Amino acid sequence: MDQILFALLNGAIYGLLLFMVSAGLTLIFGMMGVLNFAHASFYMLGAYLAYTLQPLTGFWLAIILAPLIVAGLGILVERVILRRVHAYGHAHELLVTFGLSVVIAEIIKIFYGNFPVEYRVPAELQFSAFEIGGGSYPFYRLFMGGVALMMFALLYLMLTRTRIGIVVRSAIYRPRMVEALGHNVPMVFMGVFGVGAFLAGLAGAVAGAFYTTNPNMALELGVMVFVVVVVGGLGSLGGAMIASLLIGVVTSLAVGVKVSIASLLDFIGLGDLARDVGGIFVLELSSVAATLPFFLMLLVLLARPSGLLGEKE
Amino acid sequence: MTFNAFLRAGVACATIALAGAAAAEPLKIALVETLSGPQASTGLLYRTAVQYQIGKINAAGGFNGEKIALVEYDNQGGPVGAADRVKAAIADGAQIILQGSSSAVAGQITEDVRKFNLRNKGKEVLYLNLGAEALELTGAKCHFYHFRFSPNAAIRFKTVALGMKGKGILGTRAYAIDQNYSWGVDVENTVVANAKEIGYEVVDKTLHEVNKIQDFSPYVAKIQAANVDTVFTGNWSNDLLLLMKAASGAGLKARFATAFLDQPGNIGNAGAIAEGHVVSTPFNPEANGDATRVFAEDYKAVTGHYPAYVEPAAVFGLMLFGEALKDVKLDGGKIDTTKIALSIEKATVKTPMGDYSMRSDDHQAQFPMVVQTVSKEAKVKADGTEFGFLPIKSFTGAESIDPVQSTCSMQRPG
Repeated sequence: MDQILFALLNGAIYGLLLFMVSAGLTLIFGMMGVLNFAHASFYMLGAYLAYTLQPLTGFWLAIILAPLIVAGLGILVERVILRRVHAYGHAHELLVTFGLSVVIAEIIKIFYGNFPVEYRVPAELQFSAFEIGGGSYPFYRLFMGGVALMMFALLYLMLTRTRIGIVVRSAIYRPRMVEALGHNVPMVFMGVFGVGAFLAGLAGAVAGAFYTTNPNMALELGVMVFVVVVVGGLGSLGGAMIASLLIGVVTSLAVGVKVSIASLLDFIGLGDLARDVGGIFVLELSSVAATLPFFLMLLVLLARPSGLLGEKE
Repeated sequence: MTFNAFLRAGVACATIALAGAAAAEPLKIALVETLSGPQASTGLLYRTAVQYQIGKINAAGGFNGEKIALVEYDNQGGPVGAADRVKAAIADGAQIILQGSSSAVAGQITEDVRKFNLRNKGKEVLYLNLGAEALELTGAKCHFYHFRFSPNAAIRFKTVALGMKGKGILGTRAYAIDQNYSWGVDVENTVVANAKEIGYEVVDKTLHEVNKIQDFSPYVAKIQAANVDTVFTGNWSNDLLLLMKAASGAGLKARFATAFLDQPGNIGNAGAIAEGHVVSTPFNPEANGDATRVFAEDYKAVTGHYPAYVEPAAVFGLMLFGEALKDVKLDGGKIDTTKIALSIEKATVKTPMGDYSMRSDDHQAQFPMVVQTVSKEAKVKADGTEFGFLPIKSFTGAESIDPVQSTCSMQRPG
C-alpha cells in the first residue's frame, strides 16, 4: 500500500512539473496558433540563468529573477522574430522556433560546456519531509509540486476572474472583434508569450536544481511536453493539467508492475508458448514505462483527435 | 623538340614524380565519432585523446617514413550517420577507422568493415574500437580486423564486485538496474552470472529506457523495497546522475557500483551525493605512483585538462597501436593493414598503468583495471569539487579479463 501511495505521490509531482512547462506552450498555442518548438529551451534557459545568478543573489532571488529574465527574452523573441514571420503562416513560425531551439542549445554549450553544471538544491532545503514505505520523502519534491500548484491557481484565477483574463480569452476566439473594441491585441499576444516563457523558466529554475542542468535538458523534456499538450488538447489549460498528472502517475505506477504479454497469456494457458517465442512477449511493462505516454497519446489521438479537453476544430 | 612534345615530357616527369611520392604512402586514420549534437560530449573526448596520442606517434617519426594523417568524420550520433561516414572515409583512402562512443554505432561500423574486407581482399580496413563495450563486439560479431581497446561489461563488473568485496563493502544483497539495450543487457547478465562465484545475491533487477526518464524516484522506490547493500548499474550520463540523485533524495543507503561514474560533470553535479559510490576504470592518477602522475600532468599540459572518463583507455590503446607499428617494416612500400593487425596481436607495451597487450583469440585488449571510490581523500579532485576518485583495489590485466566468449569464431587471414 505504501508503495502505491509513494508511486502516486511521485507521479503527481512529476506531473505538476510537466504542467508548469506545458502550460505556457498550450497557452501560446491556444492564443496565437504557434506551436513553439523553442518552448522547452526557455525551460533550459531558466535553469542555466538560475545557476548563474545563484552565487550572486542566493537561491531564492535566483529562482525569481531567472524566470523574469526568461520572460523578457520570450517577449523579445515574440516582438522581434515571431511577429515578423507571423504573416507568412504557421509553417514559417514552426521553422523559426525550431531553429531558435537549436541556436539556444548551441549557445548554452559555448558558454557552459557540454557537461552538466553544478546546479544543486541548496543544503538548507535538503531534508526529508516525511517517512513513507521505509524511505524518506525529499521536501524539495513537495516544494516543486507546491510551486506548480500555486502557478496553476494564479493563472486560473487571472484568466477567469480578471478583466485581463477576459480580454485574453476573447482575443483567442475573436481577435479582430477584440481589436475593434479598442484593445491592443499584438500587445496581449506578447504578454501571453512572456507569461508562457516565465512559467517555463520558473520550472527550469526550480527543477534544474533537483534533476540535472545540462545542454540536453530541453530535448529531454521537450518531447514529453508536446505529448502533454496533445493529450490534454491544444490550447486547454485544464487539459494540460489533467494530461500532465495522468502521464506522471501512469509512468510512475508502471515502473512497479511486472506484467508482460506472456504473463497475461498465462490465464488462457499460452504463457509458456509466448515465453518460448520471447521478444515482445516477455517485455515487462516496467521496462517500457517511459514509452507509455506515447502510447497514451496514440490512444487519445485515435479516440479523440482534439485531445481530452480540446475544442473541436 | 616541339612545344607539344615538351609538354608531354613534362607531364610524364610529373607523373613519375607523383608515383614516387605515392610509394611512401602515409598511413591514413579516420576518426568516425559523434562530434555534434546531444551526444557529442563523449565523442569530443575521444577526439582529444586520439589527437594527443597520434601526435606523440607522429612526433616520434610517424609510420613508414611519413607522418600519420588523421582525418575526422562526424557520425552525428547514430548508426546511419556512421555507416555513411565510414563509406566516405574508406573512399577518401582511410585504412584505419577509430571510434569509441556508443555500442550501437560500433555494432554498425564493425559489420560494415567486416563486409568491406570480405569484398576487397588486399585492401582491408582496420577498425580500432576505443570504447564501445557491448560484449557481442568481441563475441558473436568478432572478426579479425576489429580490435577492442577498452574494457567491456564483463571486465567492468567483475572487477568492481571483486574490488568491493575485497574492501568489505559489497554486502550480500544486490540490485541490477540498467538501460535496455545491448550494453545494459550485458551488464545485467554479467552481474547475475557472477553472483554465485563472487558471493552476492541479485534480489531484483530492472531494465529501463535509455535517456528518456526524468524522474527516477519510482525506480528508487523499487530498489528501496528490495532492501539491498549494492546497486550495480551500467547507466551513464543523465541516467546515472538522475538515478543517484533520486536515490539520495529518498535516503537510499545502498552503494552504487558503476562503470561510468567518472564522466566529467557527474561529481560536480551530484556533489556529496556521489560520495562512497564505486567505479571500475582502466586509469586513476594515483594508481601507479609516478608513472600515472607524470602521464596525467603531460596530458594536462598538452590538452588543458587531466585525462578523464574514456580518454585514458583510448590513449593506452593507441600506445599499443603505436608499439605495433614499430614492428611493421614496409621500407616505404605500400601499407599492408593485415601486417599491422598481426603486429597488434603480438605487441605488448608498458602504459603508465602497467602491461598492456591484445588477446589474439577475440581481439579484446588486456590491461590493468582499478576500482575506486568517490572520496574527499583523493589527491586529484574532479570537476573542481572537494571530491575525487580514491583507488581501493587494482587488478592486473590477467586478473581483470573475461574468458573468450564461445560465440566468437574468428576467420584469420591466409
